[in-house]
Amino acid sequence: MTTLIAIGAGIAVLTGLGAGIGIGIATSRATEAIARQPEAEGKISKNLLLGCALAEATAIYGFVVAIMIIMFLK
Amino acid sequence: METFTEELLNRMNIRTVFEIPILGGIPVTESVVLSWGIMAFLVLGSIILVRNLKIIPGKKQLALEIAVGGIWDFFEGLMGERGRRYIPYMATVALFIGTSNLVGLVGLFPPTKDLNVTAGLAVMSIVLIEFAGIAQKGPKRWLKSFAEPMPIIAPINVMEIFIRPLSLCMRLFGNILGGFVVMEMVKIAAPLLVPIPLSFYFDIFDGLIQTYVFVLLTSLFIKEAIED
Repeated sequence: MTTLIAIGAGIAVLTGLGAGIGIGIATSRATEAIARQPEAEGKISKNLLLGCALAEATAIYGFVVAIMIIMFLK
Repeated sequence: METFTEELLNRMNIRTVFEIPILGGIPVTESVVLSWGIMAFLVLGSIILVRNLKIIPGKKQLALEIAVGGIWDFFEGLMGERGRRYIPYMATVALFIGTSNLVGLVGLFPPTKDLNVTAGLAVMSIVLIEFAGIAQKGPKRWLKSFAEPMPIIAPINVMEIFIRPLSLCMRLFGNILGGFVVMEMVKIAAPLLVPIPLSFYFDIFDGLIQTYVFVLLTSLFIKEAIED
């Protein structure tokens, strides 16, 4: 049973994959954009932070689900 | 390993401090007490800092004016002219969440790692967002705005009322709890010197970023609600 719970929590945390890829792409594009137009840095970084926060939410959901699996299935 | 897990779970637990002896006993948890403490701290700080304000500012008042002006400009840039009346609330929430996330530095735990605290903040946010929409557009046009840009996506717009606070609440809670769990693990495994650099990231950087994200998202939603 404990093994199954551990596996389940591990699978739930795999959602972090998507968030990592998404934030990576967003950051690379933002750096390119800043390199192209350094004067727009303020606006770009605001939008980047917003996008990262939204993309990161999926990873956080996975994490919360994993914690819940561990806490409540014992 | 057993003691490690037990110690970790013990630290993650949110204990009940005392019970209010009415209605069969209302439990008051540590996070509630901590939130009250932070509120008292902020209120006291505000009262002390705004005493004896002068027309020609001194050093302290100048720093205060720069800080308040900076916060004011930040929110006004996000919400625009019409959202000006919501700035005091947003600034208060920003101060509260910021202090809550940083309170781990002085040996307490951040109250935002309790789901109920973040849920309360998120519910207040969504109430304010919808209130802003109704106050700006009037009830009729507010109802109509659910059918924009096309009537067919109205269910999605209605669902958004529930999804927005859920994601606001879960994001803050998950981030803070995640940072807290990692910090506690490190503190149990290597209590000497190792937690210091990690604390900079998990306590200070992550806490401030999450504060920023929370108020940024809330004010963007308010802006969306009040614009035509």
